Amino acid sequence: MAITNINTFLRDYFQLNECPILQEQNGVLTVQLTEKMDKRLMNRPFYWQYVKSIGKHGEPMKLTLITNPVNRHSKGEWVHFGSPWYVQILNHLKEEHRFTKLYQRDFVQEEKTELHPWLILNQKISYIGRQKRDELFSLGLNLINGQMKTNMMTFLDALTLQPSIPDFSYTISPLIKLKSGYLRVQSVLYDYVTQQKHPWAVEARAKMEEDVDLAKHFFHDEADHAQLDKEISEIRNRYEPRICIQTINGGLFYLKRQQPPNQQN
Amino acid sequence: MTDFQIETDQQFIEAFLHQLKKDEQFSSWELFKMAYEAEASTIIPDFDGLRALEYLPHMSFLPHQIDTAKTAIEEMNGRAILADEVGLGKTIEAGLIMKELMVRGLVHKALILVPASLVSQWAQELQEKFYIRAIPYRKNMAWDQSSIIISSIDTAKRDAHREIIQDIDYDLLLIDEAHKLKNHQTKNYDFVKQIRKKYCLMLTATPIQNKLMELFNLVSILKPGHLGSYDMFLKRYGNHRHAIQENEYLRKLIQKVMIRNTRESTQLQESKRNIETVWVDFSPLEMELYRELEQVTESFSPFSKITLLREYCSSKEACMLSLQKVAQTENAVGQLEPLIEKFSKLPHHAKSQKVLDIIQKAPNEKIIIFTEYRASQLYLQWFLQQHDIRSVPFRGGFKRGKKDWMKQLFENHAQVLIATEAGGEGINLQFCKNLINYDLPWNPMRLEQRIGRIHRYGQKSDVHIYNLSIRDTFEEQIIKVLYEKIKLFERVIGELDDILSALDIPDIEQEIQTIFTQSTSPGEAKIKLENLSSVIERHTNASKEDEAN
Repeated sequence: MAITNINTFLRDYFQLNECPILQEQNGVLTVQLTEKMDKRLMNRPFYWQYVKSIGKHGEPMKLTLITNPVNRHSKGEWVHFGSPWYVQILNHLKEEHRFTKLYQRDFVQEEKTELHPWLILNQKISYIGRQKRDELFSLGLNLINGQMKTNMMTFLDALTLQPSIPDFSYTISPLIKLKSGYLRVQSVLYDYVTQQKHPWAVEARAKMEEDVDLAKHFFHDEADHAQLDKEISEIRNRYEPRICIQTINGGLFYLKRQQPPNQQN
Repeated sequence: MTDFQIETDQQFIEAFLHQLKKDEQFSSWELFKMAYEAEASTIIPDFDGLRALEYLPHMSFLPHQIDTAKTAIEEMNGRAILADEVGLGKTIEAGLIMKELMVRGLVHKALILVPASLVSQWAQELQEKFYIRAIPYRKNMAWDQSSIIISSIDTAKRDAHREIIQDIDYDLLLIDEAHKLKNHQTKNYDFVKQIRKKYCLMLTATPIQNKLMELFNLVSILKPGHLGSYDMFLKRYGNHRHAIQENEYLRKLIQKVMIRNTRESTQLQESKRNIETVWVDFSPLEMELYRELEQVTESFSPFSKITLLREYCSSKEACMLSLQKVAQTENAVGQLEPLIEKFSKLPHHAKSQKVLDIIQKAPNEKIIIFTEYRASQLYLQWFLQQHDIRSVPFRGGFKRGKKDWMKQLFENHAQVLIATEAGGEGINLQFCKNLINYDLPWNPMRLEQRIGRIHRYGQKSDVHIYNLSIRDTFEEQIIKVLYEKIKLFERVIGELDDILSALDIPDIEQEIQTIFTQSTSPGEAKIKLENLSSVIERHTNASKEDEAN
């Protein structure tokens, strides 16, 4: 579910953040920022402080973003995968939208619909040794029967979800507490990680030992133990393999009883 | 089973439960999903490869720069000496490596140590080319105030800063012009050795200028023990750099920590060097005074003599300054006063007229003039002004801000930039393609640095280099021998470096100086110079034949 179209992505982003689109043509997008978004993105705290101190309303800026490289020399900011604007917007999204609570809405509703609670967790596993590599999982745990499913984001994307409970629907309270549900998911990930073979970690360890030996040999005669300790701790910092399991975002989802089909990751 | 650390996320659930309890507004599905997409777009799917390239579509890297970055990260694990020849883009390589490590989340905190004059240039290049925000250190700033700080070693090592810096765990330490750390007994070396770092990049164009031990010292900061212990190394390889050529094992060992691209190996020859010797004739009066100066200085120390003559060939102003000083030290006030008197009556220097011709022939082109002497610099600036030509001075001693300012003035408002030798280092002037060597340095390194200002990575046109030389003076001998016979200009600097060291000539400038000062007549000096050039020439041919075989 990586971003494929930056233009659509940006337009959605500003619209969802209530910034009107003033113009959009050939990959050049002009938006009117709200005060909130100006403060978030434009990095001009002194202006806002000043406006506030003289008791006036500030004027949020207009922003022109260019996503089509052909037009990159026109007036505005060229936004591409690595441009500071884009990075800032992605970081904004990652920081702000960590939690959610949503309900599935069913359009062909004739009778009362029962909604089951699911804990959805988007998890990143980073393997860090000589280099680094990440894996991303979207997991769901049914908090009534403990069923666990993968690839949840794709499944959820096909549903209609809303922030409040729909008419004619009722929710079942979780039998599994959120916290123990969370720990259950984490332990599944932990098992997944420990059951793998880790040639990269073996390699990093070997490299580490090799460099530590060289350093020991080098400082062999010297009385300078402090320097040796420093070098060794640097080598360990650089190579010592570790795995980091991180929760990107997650939420409590109330979904219809019909279960999501299990999908391969 | 795994025997290493696995970190899990304990905070998420606590924060989520807290949020649920408050029942505050939650993210909508759309934004929640976008946050996930943002993450999915920025993960690192593979251990290998350069993810940073996707982040920098505005840059077009050369193949050798990409290879260098990959090698430094994948094979050298982020600790490397980058030793490309001048003008192949070491800064670009370093920036790319740094960006990759940052994109992968392996580097957050970095310290960049560069010569004081290059601080703002580094900041600007990292920002514009790599979107890396590095802050130049300013007075009273805290060293942990910004995650990436650029400073000069001299500032960083001061008592007030040293301990603070040595208490920080840096993810990356980057050192530009690292050959300045070659001596392990200096304070700079000691200071850098104490800095705690995970990754380390050292940039230098002249890593093994003289001694093998200097390289050993650099490697000892990067990867102590890689070349063995100091004593063992000294015993086995001595202090001669040909050891690298002779010893395959040592060469391989060094290649594990150092990457050196040459113009030759990268075939970066899209822009050529056109070199032209421009002969200048002294006016009869100027020539008469040249001869008189030769005679008068006969009794002086050979060094003073040669210096005075070199200066005279540059400008009378340069020569007069020294003459006045020498008059005192050599107790020759009476002897020199008439000469100084005559000097002041000389009209314009023959060379300055030539310079004017060259400039006026190309009224729309930028031109850089290099001179060894400040007095000549001032004189030229004044002279050009008389002819309505705007020029900007440039000196190594200028503060950072002033250098940038001068560069901008030159780019936008003036046709000519007049630089003295010290201004050579680290200023990039690819927008200019003409260079006049108003007087010639005898040291090929310095010459290469001069030319490297315009003939470097990013130069799209052929460059033109004009060498001014005055007929019937020792300048003629120098240019004939050094520059025409040995073809110093066309040569790749590393190549000459290799030849000189093979011949055990550590410093060619010194060598020439000696020839001039120890010869009793101009004829003798000429013969000795020719001998020198023949030796170099023969060696070059011999090694070419070796290669051909």
